[in-house]
Amino acid sequence: MRLWMIFHVAGKEIRSTLRDRRAILSNLLVPLLLLPIVMLGLPLLIGGLVSQQQETASQIGIEGLDNLPDALRQRLEAQNIALQATDTPEQAVREDTYSAALSVPANVAERIGQGENVEITVYTKPGNLRSELDSGKIRSAVQSYRQEIVRERLEEAGLEPSILEPVTISTVNANTEAEQASGQLSWLIPFFIAIWTLSGGQMTAIDATAGEKERGTLEVLLVAPIRRSEVVVGKFVATLLFGLSAALMAIVGYILGGTILRSLFSDMMGDQASEFTQVMGGSLSVGPLSVVLLVVSTLLLAMLIAALLIGITSFARSFREAQTYLAPLSFLLILPAISLQFSELLDFGPLIYLVPVVNALLLMDDIVTGSAGALPVLLTWASLLAFAALLLDFAYRSFKREGVIFRT
Amino acid sequence: MTDMIEVSGLTKTFGDVVAIKNISFSVAAGEVFGLLGPNGAGKTTTLRILATLLRADSGSATVDGHDVVTEDETVRAQIGVVNGGMGLYDRLSGREILHYFGKLYGMKRNQIDARIDELDGLLELGDTLERRAEGFSTGMKQKIVVARAVLHDPPVIFFDEATSGLDVMARRSVLDFVKDYPSHNRAVIYSTHVMSEVDELCDRAGIIYRGELIAIDRIEALKEQTGSDSLERAFFRLVERSHTGSPNTDQKTGQKTEVSA
Repeated sequence: MRLWMIFHVAGKEIRSTLRDRRAILSNLLVPLLLLPIVMLGLPLLIGGLVSQQQETASQIGIEGLDNLPDALRQRLEAQNIALQATDTPEQAVREDTYSAALSVPANVAERIGQGENVEITVYTKPGNLRSELDSGKIRSAVQSYRQEIVRERLEEAGLEPSILEPVTISTVNANTEAEQASGQLSWLIPFFIAIWTLSGGQMTAIDATAGEKERGTLEVLLVAPIRRSEVVVGKFVATLLFGLSAALMAIVGYILGGTILRSLFSDMMGDQASEFTQVMGGSLSVGPLSVVLLVVSTLLLAMLIAALLIGITSFARSFREAQTYLAPLSFLLILPAISLQFSELLDFGPLIYLVPVVNALLLMDDIVTGSAGALPVLLTWASLLAFAALLLDFAYRSFKREGVIFRT
Repeated sequence: MTDMIEVSGLTKTFGDVVAIKNISFSVAAGEVFGLLGPNGAGKTTTLRILATLLRADSGSATVDGHDVVTEDETVRAQIGVVNGGMGLYDRLSGREILHYFGKLYGMKRNQIDARIDELDGLLELGDTLERRAEGFSTGMKQKIVVARAVLHDPPVIFFDEATSGLDVMARRSVLDFVKDYPSHNRAVIYSTHVMSEVDELCDRAGIIYRGELIAIDRIEALKEQTGSDSLERAFFRLVERSHTGSPNTDQKTGQKTEVSA
């Protein structure tokens, strides 16, 4: 193979893709902006909605308004609840007249004064966010009222409140700093890298193979004194480059979302929004070695996907047919990415790091959480490299088959 | 005259379908050879074998003395192909397309530019050089397709249904190009189903029907053999004869072409 010929073919594919506005949008802008939007926009939106719900007075139905003790009424009002009398609390909630309601029996204060147990009923709609938030406010007020009564009763009996809690539980976060910082959904990072590598390389791969067939240019290219291996590798290099550029943009987007913008918008985000951001991926803190491991793993995963793209799309007769073939590939990436959430519960041993794609996602998750070992790194890299080479060889053989080249 | 193209006993099947069967002919330097036959007769398959894109099941072929199987890369450097697909890279300009292909043929940038200037004079490339191909008319596309095929000044050129889909003006300019293009040292195979084009352009023609070469001779000789005043009539009589089993003779080689019943 002549290197200059490979780069000549790759150069033409790169130039051609760069002149396609759709490619620029899907390869560079969308991956750059999507993660910041997900990491900041969503928490800001949800955080804002939750805060708004907490700050606005909730209209709550109450059966037995006159029975309500003053101490409980004050606590409910402190939760920003506006009480509305109703005789049918369950029906009112069911019909969305009120998001939540409560029922207070007669003579509550007297019965409590006599040491009786009183039952207060809360009506809610599980699964309805607004109803759950409002019933949460009611529960919180009742809980506070209950604690106050318990405290008074213990005092009357001459006992300390601590007598009710003979054992206390304290929890220590045993995660490393990197694991703590990476957030509970840190699997999103490798997932986004994989998805964008696939998406970024897709258009170039289709255009360079099925697109060439559809336009009728492939035959003319193959009658030039260029070797099939040079054609395949040239197209592979261009596909790889755009896959990587999209993945790189996704990483830049992640850094923007995770650090710079988060610090800029921290004032605007309430406590809940910050918590949500932490869950989404937190403030990633990876050292230089992890960055190198991440870059090499991304490169190898991108090589595997680029080879797969070229191999598959070369079968297709047209752009549209190629897109149909590639659609299931996204699922291939999504399934292992989702399974990563349960990776602690699944123990396949080190051999799982030989399974292509899954291994890259697992390893990148390990790197981000700072728990990547030498064996998984070696197994993953060797496996990715071997499978990428096999797929590239498959693509080359496809390009040599008359049935594939002239399948128009 | 030395033979630039020699084809001997080529047979090619696709599954159960016999695309071409025992095809033999030769084309000398300076000759425009017509390959005439209806769609699906096997013309494109024959040219694809000569262009090293397909491999024959049996038989052999050489282009400028190089075997199409064992010296495929050398053969590809010696040929130019114009097909009726008119496929171009939509997002590249005519000049960029020609530079892309010129470099594939090992030409230097200044060589390509000089050749483009030369072809601009022959083909009146004009606007097509600087505009992107996505906005080309079919005639403009075909000009670049022809320029691309002859950019490296190949000794052998294949035209395969080169005027298919062209309007009358564009078709005429392709025909004039084939007629006027200096051809004393190069061989041209002009493959088409349009009899008048072969009549106008070719010195000799081979008539290919259902995968078999049923006749091969000078155009005038083909007419004489069949007592026809036009090539079209001659074609139909030769096809009829092929059904009855009478042999046709190549006056250039004196070789009898086997005709199937």
